[in-house]
Amino acid sequence: MPGALLEVEDLRIHFPTQDGLVKSVDGVSFSLERGRTLGIVGESGSGKSVTSLGIMGLHQGTQAQITGHIRLDGEELVGTQPTRVRELRGDKMAMIFQDPLSSLHPYFTVGNQIIEAYRVHHPEVTKQQARQRAIDMLERVGIPQPSVRVDDYPHQFSGGMRQRVMIAMALVNDPGLLIADEPTTALDVTVQAQILDLISDLQAEFGSAVIMITHDLGVVAELSDDILVMYAGRVAEYGSAADIFARPGHPYTWGLLASMPRMDRERLTRLVPIPGTPPSLIRVPSGCPFHPRCRYGHLNGGRSETEVPELRATEETGHLVACHLTAAERTRQWALLSAGQVPDDVKEPVPQGGVEA
Amino acid sequence: MITFIIRRLIGTVFLLIVVSMITFAIFFLLPRLAGQNTYQLATQYVGRNPTREAILQVEQQLGLADPLYLQYGRFLRSIVLGAHYNSGTGSTYCPPPCFGYSFRSQQPVWPQMVSDLPVTISLAIGASVLWLVGGVSIGVISALRRGSFFDRFSMGVALAGVSLPIFFTGLIALELFSYKWPIFPNVTYVSFTTNPLLWARNLVLPWIVLAFLYAALYARLTRAGMLETMSEDYIRTARAKGLPERTVIVKHGLRSALTPIVTIFGMDLGLLLGGAIITEVTFSLHGLGLFTVMAIQNQDLPEILGVTMLAAFFIVIANLVVDIFYAVLDPRVRY
Amino acid sequence: MRRRRTFGLAAFGAAAAIALAACSSGGSSSSTNPASSPGVTGFNAAVTSVVNPSTTKGGTISFGNSSAPDSTDPGNTYYAYMWNFTRLYVMPLMTYKSCPGQCGLQVVPDLATGPGVVSDNGLTWTYHIQPDVKFEDGTTVTSQDVKYAVERTFDRGLFPLGPNYFAGLLGGNAAKYPGPYKDKSSKDKMGLTAVDTPDATTIVFHLAKPFADFDYVAAIPQTAPVPPNKDTGANYQLHPVSTGPYMFQSYQLNKQLTLVPNPNWKASTDPNAKQLASKITMTMNMNANDIDSRLLAGDLQVDAAGTGVQAAARSKILSTPTLKATSDDPLAGFTWFAAINTTLAPLNNVHCRMAIEYAASKTNYQDAYGGPIGGAIASNVAPPNLVGYKAFDLYGATTDPGGNVAKAKAELQACGQPNGFTTGITYRSDRPKEVAAAQALQASLSQVGIKTSLHGFPTSTYSGNFAGVPKYVAQHNIGISFYGWAADWPDGYGFFFYIAHGKAISPAGNTNQSQLNDPVVNNLLDKMTNTTDAATRNSYTSQIDMQIMKDAAILPGVWAKSLLYRGTSLTNVYVQSYYGMYNYAVLGVKS
Repeated sequence: MPGALLEVEDLRIHFPTQDGLVKSVDGVSFSLERGRTLGIVGESGSGKSVTSLGIMGLHQGTQAQITGHIRLDGEELVGTQPTRVRELRGDKMAMIFQDPLSSLHPYFTVGNQIIEAYRVHHPEVTKQQARQRAIDMLERVGIPQPSVRVDDYPHQFSGGMRQRVMIAMALVNDPGLLIADEPTTALDVTVQAQILDLISDLQAEFGSAVIMITHDLGVVAELSDDILVMYAGRVAEYGSAADIFARPGHPYTWGLLASMPRMDRERLTRLVPIPGTPPSLIRVPSGCPFHPRCRYGHLNGGRSETEVPELRATEETGHLVACHLTAAERTRQWALLSAGQVPDDVKEPVPQGGVEA
Repeated sequence: MITFIIRRLIGTVFLLIVVSMITFAIFFLLPRLAGQNTYQLATQYVGRNPTREAILQVEQQLGLADPLYLQYGRFLRSIVLGAHYNSGTGSTYCPPPCFGYSFRSQQPVWPQMVSDLPVTISLAIGASVLWLVGGVSIGVISALRRGSFFDRFSMGVALAGVSLPIFFTGLIALELFSYKWPIFPNVTYVSFTTNPLLWARNLVLPWIVLAFLYAALYARLTRAGMLETMSEDYIRTARAKGLPERTVIVKHGLRSALTPIVTIFGMDLGLLLGGAIITEVTFSLHGLGLFTVMAIQNQDLPEILGVTMLAAFFIVIANLVVDIFYAVLDPRVRY
Repeated sequence: MRRRRTFGLAAFGAAAAIALAACSSGGSSSSTNPASSPGVTGFNAAVTSVVNPSTTKGGTISFGNSSAPDSTDPGNTYYAYMWNFTRLYVMPLMTYKSCPGQCGLQVVPDLATGPGVVSDNGLTWTYHIQPDVKFEDGTTVTSQDVKYAVERTFDRGLFPLGPNYFAGLLGGNAAKYPGPYKDKSSKDKMGLTAVDTPDATTIVFHLAKPFADFDYVAAIPQTAPVPPNKDTGANYQLHPVSTGPYMFQSYQLNKQLTLVPNPNWKASTDPNAKQLASKITMTMNMNANDIDSRLLAGDLQVDAAGTGVQAAARSKILSTPTLKATSDDPLAGFTWFAAINTTLAPLNNVHCRMAIEYAASKTNYQDAYGGPIGGAIASNVAPPNLVGYKAFDLYGATTDPGGNVAKAKAELQACGQPNGFTTGITYRSDRPKEVAAAQALQASLSQVGIKTSLHGFPTSTYSGNFAGVPKYVAQHNIGISFYGWAADWPDGYGFFFYIAHGKAISPAGNTNQSQLNDPVVNNLLDKMTNTTDAATRNSYTSQIDMQIMKDAAILPGVWAKSLLYRGTSLTNVYVQSYYGMYNYAVLGVKS
């Protein structure tokens, strides 16, 4: 898509190990424009973090085999010189991580670490200027008394404050793309909201594109313009947040939505979890990777076990789903599910293998 | 921090007192439990075929027949206030800290230890520089090139270094480089002030032999520490910021990995300063280690006490320095 | 007793024959040229002749010592090598003639002008000293300096390490005399009434009882003069005032001693010492194997202890002809033996003890000491180079060196223990050879049914706390104690008194570990103190030896030998028989 800041096309990231080839990311495509937020949702092992690390070029030095395309502002990243990717890293694209306590170096002051991030990409800047910039960033992210706290160590901050520091450090160079990998998972609920607000404000202010990786649909609902649902290293569903919440297409997404406690449901309505566990990425189930856990797989006449479903548009809005169910069937099942009923022609799947013992 | 240091120093004094009490106890009470009396103890300090009078006189001279608390009190007093010793023709004053007079030679113990100390210090410091630089760099490289030939080879050599005893490597070193090919003939200690070049030359073999053992240890430790550190989240963050790999390794990785290494180093050095016994014996270097061996062989209580307390002192101070250092290195640690 | 000694007079010829026969296994060396012809080389050359005779001055002789001297104060040392070494810086009244072979067992005047003149039925010994011997500071030595030296040895608190003879032998107030430091009775520190100094060159000793060996006692370094106004008591060891060819330049206690020539020494007053090297050093507390390696490499010239090289160097030397040609294997003067407890049942029955004598394998005992190079199988207690030595063999040591099980069992029958008995063996655990010998004996005895348990103790506490404590030995059923003996002078009395006289039994530090109290032996020893006639004394010596063996109080093992490496740069090297090692007072070095 022209004008997109980030374009990912058929990205595959495989890791050869002693036990076999781990296909962490196996054909993921999406695009993201400036000022918009993409939420990537999935369970642990779905490949969401590996994808974002791949975008950042942080698999350099590992055994990862990366194919496909990643274009940042038109520039192809897959296969480029690592030095070039390093120049972009922290400057044009930045990342914040889940646990700010372990992600910040305990021995250096936050000021030192922010200044470091700044000066590596702006070597001509003086120490004074860099320090001032660090203080400004801290103020920007809402740290009180920034000129004092710039000389504090990470352990002297609370969890929420630490995450703000990470955000400050990530944004110090005005990156066009900010990737936030589970930024609120380690924080209290109240602090979560603050951090999400902060990210949203900063995005509006800086005009950056944001990728928000999470397993929490509530977070996604807050912030995202678009949503990418990943399962077993592949895209299960991709579309705008509005579309996906209104008319979710993939049974996995239904499972995610249905397994969430919601305030607008009756209390006695049982939560419907997705049975089974995420599949092994070495021996991905044949056909549709979700089929061992899918209630509706039998409705496809056996295609679920043998044929990999294509990512197909279901509406004109570009809402893509990778599922063998017909559009009609899909609509019907979702209507039933959202009404809290389970129809009788649906079988409870027996959780099978596909998981490492 | 200051209060912390003061508290620790006071604790040091108590610890040294306890060490001296235990040494006293071992020296006197254990033989007593085995049924030996001080008369029999005194026979060790006389020549052959002693008369009964001679043994009694020695018992008297060395104060062995006095009750233990009196002997111990005398000992403490001499450390703090010094002691007078009647050499027969006059009285010599032994200024504090006075560790008494050797049972065997009737000469003051402290000056002997002081003159042995530079040998041990030279040996310890020279070897420690070698093993720190050598061991740590090999460990870092091995960690960064994990699984490579260098890694496997160096860890194999390190295993040898840790397993081979010093008297073995020392003797091989002497046989090859001192006797067979006289590259380092006549290994004897020459003080640094007398002849720095000769001082260094004569210490090369003991340094290498001693450092080999520790370097092996430190290489393995550093490797493990680096591997662990490099898998920490903040390393990923450092890379995510776009830092060059060398900065990531050295500033972010090594700095963290080295902290435990530095503390271990401090303790190893502290222990060595009390006497690198095996190395000194193998190379005939007159340091505190050799002094200790001779003191024990001669059952010379004042010498044993002196060197035990000096060694304990070094260890305790090394521990203190290490703890302070740790607080400086790791801002999370607060006293 | 003192740790090493060799001696022997008339019987030395026999000794030399044994030594040479035992040493030169294979007969490869051509060393048996007993004349002191210059240029003699080869294995054992220095045992009988002077190797590299020379008058060249200069150079440094370096001694290596695997421990530290007990003391450098001549009044306070009891090691053979120190009695040898101190002659470099002191002159006792008498000394041993510096010459190789049997010649070196004669006691001759040193500071004195002649041997002691005996009077008063053997109670008075008078010596005259040379009038022109000077201390290192130029002052002349007087008889009072000699008296003072002897007086010092009475202060056992300050000087506990030397021998005890004067206190035991002298009369007058010797029994109560506390030493010059504590003695209040005399203002000029001459309070020992047993010694008179009628003039500056005469000294008179008054004995409590006759003692025919007193000349030997006068040869102990304790009679070397000490100037009272220069005495520093316990600190004297740091710089004894020299009367010998060398004097102290520097001494770092337990580390290094450096001697330089004494300008006030006159060669004409001291023919038994030489002043050739310009520097002599002794480095102490060295690693024993290191010493050997440096000797072989030429970095050191002498191993001070003089007891022979360690096992590693020994095999190297014996297997390398060039090295063997510059080595000597003299008799050390020791007998290694096992004392058999005569008071402990069932060993209080002589036949049980004789069983041990028959059962023991002498070959294995010798092997434990390194085979023929390490020592010759002993058939009796006195070594061949002891005055009055006579060879005899009651229990087949030379005819049945592997032991005789049948005869042993017969003796067991005779003492009423046909199935053997149980007893304990003590030995010094820090001496590998002794450990091996004890194990070998255990094996031999078990063959005849004598079951033994082994108890090892370190040398430093062996006689003080264990084997030398009769109470301990009795309580722990110790029937056999490994020991060794060399006497302080080459005479039967000196050798046998401490290991065989009933009076020598002591509650701690006991040297008579057989606890033998045989009136025959006691009487013979007592008579020896009175007898000055050489032939009579000699016969007593062999009779004592014979009686001890009849009593089976001692199981003789080997007459020790030391494999010494003769530093190739040394001159005037020869074995002084009395010390069993090279004569240190005459060495020089090639430049």
